[in-house]
Amino acid sequence: MRRTAILICLLLLPAVATRLFTAIYPFFNTVWLSFHDWNPAFPPQQFVGLKNFQALTRDIAVTSSISFTVLFVTVSTLLEIVLGMAIALMLNRAFFGRGAVRAVNLIPWAIPMVVAAIGFRWMYDTQYGVINDLLHRTIGVKVPWLVDFWGARAAVIATNVWKSTPFVGLVLLAALQGVPQDLYEAGRVDGTNRVSAFFYITLPLIMPQIVTIGLFMVVWQLAAFDLVFAMTGGGPGFATQLLAYRIYQVAFTALNFGYASAISMVLFIVVGIASIIGLLLFRKVEVSL
Amino acid sequence: MKDQPTVTRVSRRKFLKAATLAAGSLGIGAGLSACATPPTRAPQQPAQPAELSPTQAPATDAGRKTLVLAIQGFAHDAMKPVLAKWEERTGHKVTLESGPVSGNEMITKYAPAFQSGVSPVDVMSDADDSGPTFYRAGWMEPLDAVIPQETWDDFPESFKQQIEVWHSFNGKRYRVPHEFAIGYTFYRKDWFDERKIEPPKTWEEVVAIGKEFTNPPVFGTMEAMIKPALAFVYMAYLAAQSGGNLFEFDDATAQAFQFAYDLIHTHKIMPETALSMDYTQQNEEYMKDHVAFMRQWPFFWDVARGNKNWYQEGKAEIALPPAGPAGAKSWWGGWGFSVPKFAPNKTEALDLIAFITNNENAPILAKGQSWFVMPRKSIMAVMGNEGLAVHMQRYAEANVPSPRPFHPKVAEAQSIVDDVASLYLTKQISLAEALQQGKERIAALG
Repeated sequence: MRRTAILICLLLLPAVATRLFTAIYPFFNTVWLSFHDWNPAFPPQQFVGLKNFQALTRDIAVTSSISFTVLFVTVSTLLEIVLGMAIALMLNRAFFGRGAVRAVNLIPWAIPMVVAAIGFRWMYDTQYGVINDLLHRTIGVKVPWLVDFWGARAAVIATNVWKSTPFVGLVLLAALQGVPQDLYEAGRVDGTNRVSAFFYITLPLIMPQIVTIGLFMVVWQLAAFDLVFAMTGGGPGFATQLLAYRIYQVAFTALNFGYASAISMVLFIVVGIASIIGLLLFRKVEVSL
Repeated sequence: MKDQPTVTRVSRRKFLKAATLAAGSLGIGAGLSACATPPTRAPQQPAQPAELSPTQAPATDAGRKTLVLAIQGFAHDAMKPVLAKWEERTGHKVTLESGPVSGNEMITKYAPAFQSGVSPVDVMSDADDSGPTFYRAGWMEPLDAVIPQETWDDFPESFKQQIEVWHSFNGKRYRVPHEFAIGYTFYRKDWFDERKIEPPKTWEEVVAIGKEFTNPPVFGTMEAMIKPALAFVYMAYLAAQSGGNLFEFDDATAQAFQFAYDLIHTHKIMPETALSMDYTQQNEEYMKDHVAFMRQWPFFWDVARGNKNWYQEGKAEIALPPAGPAGAKSWWGGWGFSVPKFAPNKTEALDLIAFITNNENAPILAKGQSWFVMPRKSIMAVMGNEGLAVHMQRYAEANVPSPRPFHPKVAEAQSIVDDVASLYLTKQISLAEALQQGKERIAALG
């Protein structure tokens, strides 16, 4: 028994050691740095207590980033789930060429985010962009998407949704295929129509997957960076500045590691809260089944 | 029948024991190496003076080294003849690597390595807005002992102050300039000649002449101002003309901000979409015959002339910049060569940097690529009557060059101007709020 325990410990050691030095140590180092004033170009490193946290409450760049991050993640996740569900329902039906359509559906997801962001920046261009061209031809208007506060936000969110929805659709399609067909048959015998079947059979049965993918999307998107990096640079002003992008700016262009660590702590707390809400939701959904 | 190889069977228990020990050792080894504290400060030993070129004997086969020189990809071809000369003389080899295209990217790419006490490159082309950060952090090698005085003397007097501010720290020089970047006024001489008018000489004329040409999609002028960094570039340009101290957000800076706002929103001679454009888009607009005149960096000279399907003489000529309240000014900055403190082949790297920047090789680089054209005496002696060099001299004679605005925390300070300008020019805040916010955020930098 004791030999088995030792063997288990030894086998776990590499994984534990790797995790310790790739996740645990960096995390605690970030916590420690957040209480310090540290910029390698302006030594020495000094303990400043809560000064970095006080500073970020007055930093309009950070407060604006938090508000847009929350908006970006909430709206994107909701749209991705609704549209992903629509795609999944469509692809779950039998029709000619379904395999090809399923493959095409995944194209946006397979395109690197930076490539998509640069492509969309040109597409949103007021003079030459295909989006404004279509708007102009159909309803006679041109929108200065990327220089308007709400236009830029809408453009960034729409691009993110376009890119991520196929993946959500794929996961929900897999979930739909796990729903037993005999439930629908029983429902039909009882006179259930398609809408009722969706709300009373499909949705409850795939709710755990919806909550799981929703939670994943929230956490991933809280750390989104590349989209605004390549598409808007966080502008105009701070309109599309995400918290992760702000951390990048402070840490890697200004080398202000202490302050960047403090902002990272805020992001960690936001991710933590979102995760707890998601897990509670998941537990509730599981219980309701 | 062939002999069967002898197979030594290992019991499952022995295998598990051996595998566990090996994996455990690896884990512990990795852990210990991760625990090792990387040097947070560069070693303080003095620079190793490299032997100057003429005295260095070619390396023997065993002593041959391969150095890495990082510089933007478009400059590689121009570098090759000079590097070949050095390779022939020393017996070492130089590999070219594509370097980052902006100061922000320089810091992002190299700071983590330098902070860990290593360098992926031996010699690098470094930007103004990353260089000072690198020297302050102690990550660069002082060059005083290796760059001969005749190289420094080759730069005009007007360069000296800039070299002291942007290429030096604590009395030591860390970077040798190889690019003189100044915002030039490119204009459609063919259009102006047709209307028998001259390019604008004042801000008032910018507006008046701009209106004459503006008929969307054609605009009087254009400037790419997307974040990050590009709004700062234009505000610094206008503040040079208004005489403003950009990082103090003073009254003259306010004039510059107001002028940019008026060009877009009041006079409408610059499209609002300029605020979301990068330089590629700006150049595309110009080369689609949609712009009468604009400020642009020197690279547009080659970009315009390289567009064979569009370019004809007169389509991208250079005029002096318009004069604001402080005169016809344009700020200048650029790139220079440096050697990281942690360069793997530091002695050879120091010899290489002295070689490629000397008075004999600087003109060879300049003839190979306009990015290397500078008002150095050696370069002007060779190509003072050619292309961009003519305009460079003209700008210098007209006293156009204005120093790049300096702040010790240059990257953060520039980003504040960028943010505030973007907020103001997209009508999210008023001019008064922009100035107030700018002042407060600069003050918070300490």
